[in-house]
Amino acid sequence: MAAGTATRIYPFMPGGAADGTKLVSGAIVLSDLTSQPRFGLKGGGSAAWLAAQGIPLPAVNRIGDHRGMRILRLGNEDVLLLAEDDAKTLAEVKAAWNAAAAPKGYSSWREEGWAWMQLSGPRLAEAMSSLCALDLRPQKFGADDIAQTRVGHIEAVTFRSPAGFDILFDITASAYFARVVAAVAGHTDQHRGHS
Amino acid sequence: MKLLTCPMNGPRNIDEFQSFGPVRAKLDPDGTADTDWSRHLFRAENRKGIVVEWWRHVPSNYFFLAERDLVSNEIIRTFDASELRDLA
Repeated sequence: MAAGTATRIYPFMPGGAADGTKLVSGAIVLSDLTSQPRFGLKGGGSAAWLAAQGIPLPAVNRIGDHRGMRILRLGNEDVLLLAEDDAKTLAEVKAAWNAAAAPKGYSSWREEGWAWMQLSGPRLAEAMSSLCALDLRPQKFGADDIAQTRVGHIEAVTFRSPAGFDILFDITASAYFARVVAAVAGHTDQHRGHS
Repeated sequence: MKLLTCPMNGPRNIDEFQSFGPVRAKLDPDGTADTDWSRHLFRAENRKGIVVEWWRHVPSNYFFLAERDLVSNEIIRTFDASELRDLA
């Protein structure tokens, strides 16, 4: 099989570690984006290498845009690139990085180590306020802000996306996270029933 | 909820942090007596006053320093490790 064409099994796919765990949908919708392309670099030289490729880097905990990629600056030398469209630019950056000589930072393996999920739906704000202690209201937390904190009691990176909130966290916690969101969704439904 | 202000991420629940103990001077491997090594390795200081400690914000894996009052447990300030380098 040619490189890059091997089929990967993600947690919620048949045979995956979270196979059989339900993703809630309704007033709160949880979608799995884990199979979407992304590329992360960290360690000394990461920021300089990306800047040398003409990729503008935002400040720490901010999101920038460049040719169909969202650029998440998670630390001085910790950057995550998320593909927004066909992932062509992302694939080019990845290929250039693989071919480049050091110093270029190190791959942080975000495409393998992290799950990427999206929370949306009409009761999104209520769900997020149960899942995360931070003030994520639009006037406090803008479209280009990143929160590195706890969501559903686990370490996570969260930020706004057009549909709602995107959440990145340790991929091994996928089933747990889906269950926590389901519990929160059940709780908010109950409250709606009584109001 | 006790809050700690991370220099990079802002105020957070202290549950999000991990303590790495006080900043300590490195001993000179050639000029340190065995008794001093033993004290350095096996004994913790237990004094009153202000201590500068290493802390880590776990979700972002960011290490920084905090000045803490050992009597009142009040965190006086938190700052990036580059400030310590500037002081040295």
